[in-house]
Amino acid sequence: MATMIEENGPSSHEQPEVSSSSQARLKLEGLLNKNMRIRMTDGRTLVGLFLCTDRDCNVILGSAQEFLKSTDTFSQGEPRVLGLAMIPGHHVVSIEVEADNLEDTQGFVANH
Amino acid sequence: MVMKSAVEDDDAGWGLGIPEKMKNNANWVDITHEFKGACKELNLGELLHDKLFGLFEAMSAIEMMDPKMDAGMIGNQVNRKVLNFEQAIKESVIKVKDLSLPELIGIIDTCFCCLITWLEGHSLAQTVFTCLYVHNPDLIEEPALKSFALGILKVCDIAREKVNKAAVFEEEDFQAMTYGFKMANNVTDLRVTGMLKDVEDELQRKVKGTRSRQGEQRNPEVELEHQQWLALFNRIKFTRLILTALIAFTKKETSSVGEAQKLVAQAADILSAIHSSIQHGIQSQNDTTKGDHPIMMGFEPLVNQRLLPPTFPRYAKIIKREDMVAYFSKLIERIKTVCDVINTTNLHGILDFFSEFSEQSPCVLSRSLLQTTFLIDNKKVFGTHLMQDMIKDALRYFVSPPVLSYKCCLFNNHQAKDYIDSFVTHCSRPFCSLIQIHGHNRARQRDKLGHILEEFATLQDEAEKVDAALHSLLMKLEPQRQHLACLGTWILYHNLRIMIQYLLSGFELELYSMHEYYYIYWYLSEFLYAWLMSTLSRADSSQMAEERITEEQVKGRSSKKTKKKKKVRPLSKEITMSQAYQNMCAGMYKTMVALDMDGKVHKPQFELDSEQVRYEHRFAPFNSVVTPPPVHYIQFKEMSDLKKYNPPPGSADLYLAASKHFQQAKLILENVTSPDPEVNRILKVAKPNIVVMKLLAGGHKKETKALPEFDFSAHKYFPVVKII
Repeated sequence: MATMIEENGPSSHEQPEVSSSSQARLKLEGLLNKNMRIRMTDGRTLVGLFLCTDRDCNVILGSAQEFLKSTDTFSQGEPRVLGLAMIPGHHVVSIEVEADNLEDTQGFVANH
Repeated sequence: MVMKSAVEDDDAGWGLGIPEKMKNNANWVDITHEFKGACKELNLGELLHDKLFGLFEAMSAIEMMDPKMDAGMIGNQVNRKVLNFEQAIKESVIKVKDLSLPELIGIIDTCFCCLITWLEGHSLAQTVFTCLYVHNPDLIEEPALKSFALGILKVCDIAREKVNKAAVFEEEDFQAMTYGFKMANNVTDLRVTGMLKDVEDELQRKVKGTRSRQGEQRNPEVELEHQQWLALFNRIKFTRLILTALIAFTKKETSSVGEAQKLVAQAADILSAIHSSIQHGIQSQNDTTKGDHPIMMGFEPLVNQRLLPPTFPRYAKIIKREDMVAYFSKLIERIKTVCDVINTTNLHGILDFFSEFSEQSPCVLSRSLLQTTFLIDNKKVFGTHLMQDMIKDALRYFVSPPVLSYKCCLFNNHQAKDYIDSFVTHCSRPFCSLIQIHGHNRARQRDKLGHILEEFATLQDEAEKVDAALHSLLMKLEPQRQHLACLGTWILYHNLRIMIQYLLSGFELELYSMHEYYYIYWYLSEFLYAWLMSTLSRADSSQMAEERITEEQVKGRSSKKTKKKKKVRPLSKEITMSQAYQNMCAGMYKTMVALDMDGKVHKPQFELDSEQVRYEHRFAPFNSVVTPPPVHYIQFKEMSDLKKYNPPPGSADLYLAASKHFQQAKLILENVTSPDPEVNRILKVAKPNIVVMKLLAGGHKKETKALPEFDFSAHKYFPVVKII
């Protein structure tokens, strides 16, 4: 397991804690494994667990499901199971997280 | 961009995975701005991720909005509504009655193309079920189209059942998924063929009604109509014949196989008429020559897009209508060949039949039909013979073991009977597997042959024990007879055949590099074929010994039989062929060694491996076999060392020796009475190679550094050597 983490790039825990970048990192880490809803440029919406992101805002969602239209209720059309999906940053239109998970990410929203 | 959910009712299953809380109206909070802002703070190339998630996992993610990976994107970018059958009827963009003749012909032809594409390994969802009519034939009011849609569904259903039952496919051959489509299961096969027949009769009346009468001034419009009625009639009839033939294959009696053969032959007769009337059908509105999905009434390539698995989309290129008839006629030829299997009754003949059939790389349907015709419900051969009896017959034919001879005291001995029966029972599963292996596609066969050697090694062990037990029994009862290595010889023969096939198929599949040829051909010629020939001659002498005893017993009664001595030995053809193969391999081996001496074989710079590693990998499956024992690399090097000759041969000597081997092979093959195509194929390689080797021995182009070419076009296993 240890070697695996090394291979997986620098771990954010080793970063100094003072800079604004480390704060941003903490915020993003707080979102990890939360349910996330991302709307894409072609109108589809993906819902899945937030697993990974980078500087270009490429996002990887786990157990993702594809919905054809962005709607608040999922009555229109059944989702399609995609599994692990990467959404390129330039195709991300909007990002939402589920509210009941928001308590521990309060800092994230409050700080904007 | 308007996109309607195409499948609202029948894919409810996909939604099952949604956690309950997501179905509730959870409170979603928009964090787009903050998220993007935070991302920008990350370093270039830095990944923010969970401890348990890393680059390795990330690699398996599908990339959205990449047309090569994102199947959902295609459906979303089409500027038209994707409608399912019911919706299309409601919006009246599809006709369910009063279709014109060209429409019917066009729809049927496109369906045929979809069917073929499915049989070639694509998913049903992307082929046959892009035709909206087959989604629910009950909604069709036009009788010809309705019966056709039902017929196609039945054909698919039976074909799928056969392929599944035979289990000789892998994902590259066939997609067994049905996505919950209904395959006309509410209607019986008989009802569908009846409906097709009714439509056919009705159409025949129309054809007759528009037929030209003698002396009549022909109206071109009537003539055209006549042609179109005829085209439709032929298509419906073809569908019925194919369906009836497939139904015949589902029956358990062997006689129905003959019936199927007749039916497909009738279907084949209609094909040219179908081909010449393709232009009568409506064409799709888009250019399908590049294999694009046809877009025409009744077809919606995207209707099932959301049913596709989340792996990257595989585009199903629907075959062109022009190629449809050619495919069907080849398919029918293959099915006819399959039907011939019932005329072969001995096990060795059947094994040869299967391997010969497999050599033409047949489609998965014909391969499966062959399997299911051979072993009906995996119990009895052709539904009548026990596999055990076939094995006994094969043993009698091959080594004539005393225990299976009616004239031997062992035949009625209880203990001997128990021994042989349990051995034969143990044989039956490995031999069924061996036959099944021949049903797989060529590349998979090799892999599976490597594995089945383990089972044959176990059989070998048992065969030797049973031989020994039977021999000691026989010594007590009839001391003048022997039961030595009878069963063992037979299993060894099959072992060797499997090993040889395993090695040879590597040439066919182009697995070996040129610098590997020499040890492969060495192993074949010096080892496997040598063993095979001694095994065959042992079997032959065992047969003769048995015949002598039978003759002696008969002699007392009539002296006539002794004159029949000159009859052809049953195994002589196989011995001859093995000699030819051995000479071909030996010739190739010496050629390769000599070419290497002249620096004409490109050898890789071994960095991470060595020749030994490659050698051991090539022969790895043989390690499970006890007899013949595997030859290890060190042994091979010792045995093939040229320094043990005095003086060591040079390249010219080796070329000359190779030439002699090819010459010898040619001589052997030219003496074969009634040569089969295989004999001619080998001769086509042997003859030019004799000449090339003589030239090389004479120093022809010795200085050229250009690498020789190996042309496998005449024979799969032996190349014609070309010096450039």
